[in-house]
Amino acid sequence: MRKILLIIFLVQLTIFPQSTSFDFHSPQKIKLFADYLFCEKDYLRAIEEYEMIRNQFVIDTIEFKVMLGYSNLGLSKNSNKIFSDFNIESKLYPDAYLVSMKNELLIDSKPLHYSEFSSFTSSQFESYVRLLNISALYGDEQSITKNNFLTLYSKEDQNTLSKLYDYKFDPPYKSPAWAGIFSAIIPGSGKMYVGEWGDGITGFLLTGLFAFLAYDNFKADHDTRAWIFTGIGAFFYAGNIYGSISAAQIFNAKINFEFSNGLKLFLENKNYFIPDYDFCK
Amino acid sequence: MISVNKIFFLIVLSSFWFINVLAQTTFESQFNYAEKLYDEENYFDAVTEFKRLLYFDKSESYDYRANMFIGLSYKQGGKFSEALQFLSLARFHSESDKEFFNSSIEIIKVNILRRTTGRAFALLDTLANDNRFINKSEEINYWRGWAFIFSDDWQKAASTFSKYKSDEQLVELCDSVTNELYNTQLAKYLSLIPGAGQFYTGEYISGLISIGWSVLWGYLTIEAFIEDRILDGVLIGSMLWWRFYSGNIQNAEKFALEKNLEITNSALNYLQHKFAGEKP
Repeated sequence: MRKILLIIFLVQLTIFPQSTSFDFHSPQKIKLFADYLFCEKDYLRAIEEYEMIRNQFVIDTIEFKVMLGYSNLGLSKNSNKIFSDFNIESKLYPDAYLVSMKNELLIDSKPLHYSEFSSFTSSQFESYVRLLNISALYGDEQSITKNNFLTLYSKEDQNTLSKLYDYKFDPPYKSPAWAGIFSAIIPGSGKMYVGEWGDGITGFLLTGLFAFLAYDNFKADHDTRAWIFTGIGAFFYAGNIYGSISAAQIFNAKINFEFSNGLKLFLENKNYFIPDYDFCK
Repeated sequence: MISVNKIFFLIVLSSFWFINVLAQTTFESQFNYAEKLYDEENYFDAVTEFKRLLYFDKSESYDYRANMFIGLSYKQGGKFSEALQFLSLARFHSESDKEFFNSSIEIIKVNILRRTTGRAFALLDTLANDNRFINKSEEINYWRGWAFIFSDDWQKAASTFSKYKSDEQLVELCDSVTNELYNTQLAKYLSLIPGAGQFYTGEYISGLISIGWSVLWGYLTIEAFIEDRILDGVLIGSMLWWRFYSGNIQNAEKFALEKNLEITNSALNYLQHKFAGEKP
C-alpha cells in the first residue's frame, strides 16, 4: 500500500513543476498563440505576438508570416520593411519577394521592372509574370496588346482586366468642349452626349418652353412677361451649357477613379500572385 | 495513534489538492488579468488575453466567461459582427439558465445597437416563451421597449415600457417624442393648399416661397386661358405650375421626415448621454 502511495506521490511531484511553470507568456507559448491567431486571420494580434519573440526565434517562417500579415492588413510599407531584412538564403525568399513586389505595386503605382531571379519555381515564375504584366497598367505606354495581356489570367479575371485595360489605354472619355458646344447648338444635347439622357431631355424641354413662351408673348405684345421668360430661358440655356461641361468632366473623373480603385481592389483581393501555404492546415 | 500509512495518505492527498489548486490559480490569474484590462477599457488587449486564455485552457472552464468578455469588448469597440460571434459562442458554452439568459440578452442588445431589430424581437420572443425565464419578463419587456425605440416606433416603445412602473422615465420620453413627431401624411395632404404643409412643419419661408410660385404660375396659366392663348396656358400650367405645385407637396413631406429625424436623434442623444438607466 505504501509503495502505491509513494508512486502516486512521485507522479504528483513530476506534475507539480509542470503545473506551476505554466507561463502564458513564454516565447514558445507566444509563438503557439500567434500561429493560432494568424490562422484565425486575426493578423494584427498575431503580428503583435510575433513581434514579441522575433529576437528570440530567428525563424524565417515568422518573418514571412509577419510580412504576409501586414500585407493582408493593407500595410504594404510595413510589410516591405520586414522584407528588407529577409534572409536571402531562406526557402521562403522567392515568395517573400513576390509579396514585396505586390506591396511595391500598391505603394508606388508604377510599372515593375523585370529582374532575373533564378530561385523561382515554375508556379512562382508564373505569378511573377502576372504581376509584372498587370503592373504595365500603371505605365503610360501601351507595351502589350490586349490579347497578349489577357491570356495569362482566368476567364473570370479577364472580364475585370479587360475593362481596366480599356480604361487605361482607350478610356471612353467625353470631351467637355464638345459637350458645351453641343448644348450651345441644341440645348440638352451635351448632357445626352455624356449619357445623362434624363437631364438632357429636361434641359431641352425647359429651354424650348421658355423660348417659345418668350416668343409667343413678344408676338402678343406682352413685353414685360416676354422679357421675364427670355431671362429665365437664357438662364436655363447658359446653365445647361455649363452643366454639360461639368458633366463631361465628372464623367472623366469617374473613369479615372474606377480605373485606379478597380486596379487596387483587384490587386488586394487576388492572392494568386502568392502561392498557397500550409501554415494552417 | 495515527498510523504512518494514514499520514502518508494525507500528504499525498493534500499535495494532489495543492497542485490542482495551483494549476487553476494560474489560469484564474490570466482570467483576472484579462478582466482587469477590460475594466480599464483596454479592450484590444483584453480580447488578446482572453483569447490567449481560451487557447491554452483545455479544461474549457472559461469558455463561457472569456467568450462573453471578448464579445463585450468587441461591442465596446463597435465591432458588432465580431461581438455577436463571440457572444453566441458564450451562449453555446453556457452551463446554467442564468448564463444562457445573460448571453442571450447581450446578443439582443448588440442586435438593437446595430438596428437588426427583427432579430432582436425574434430572440426576445424566444426568451419570453421559455418557461425557465417566466420571472424575467420585466427585463425581457425592458429590452423589447428599447428594440422598438431603435425601430423608430416610439409609440409602441412607450406602451411596452408602460407595462412596468419602474420604466416610467422611458415612458415619458417615448410619449413626448411621439407627441413631437410630425405626421408626414398630414404634411403631405395639407400641402394640397400650397405652403400649408411647410407651415405645419415650421418652415415658414419655404411655405411662403411655395405659395408665391404656385400663385404666380397659376395666375399666368389662368390669364393665358382667359386670353385664349390655349397653348401658352397648357404649357405654363403643365410644365411650370404643376411642377411647382407637386414639388411643394413633396417638399412638405421631406421637411416632416427631416424634422422627425432631428427629434428622434435628439431623443437618442439624451438616452446615450443623460439617461441613467441600463442601455443597450
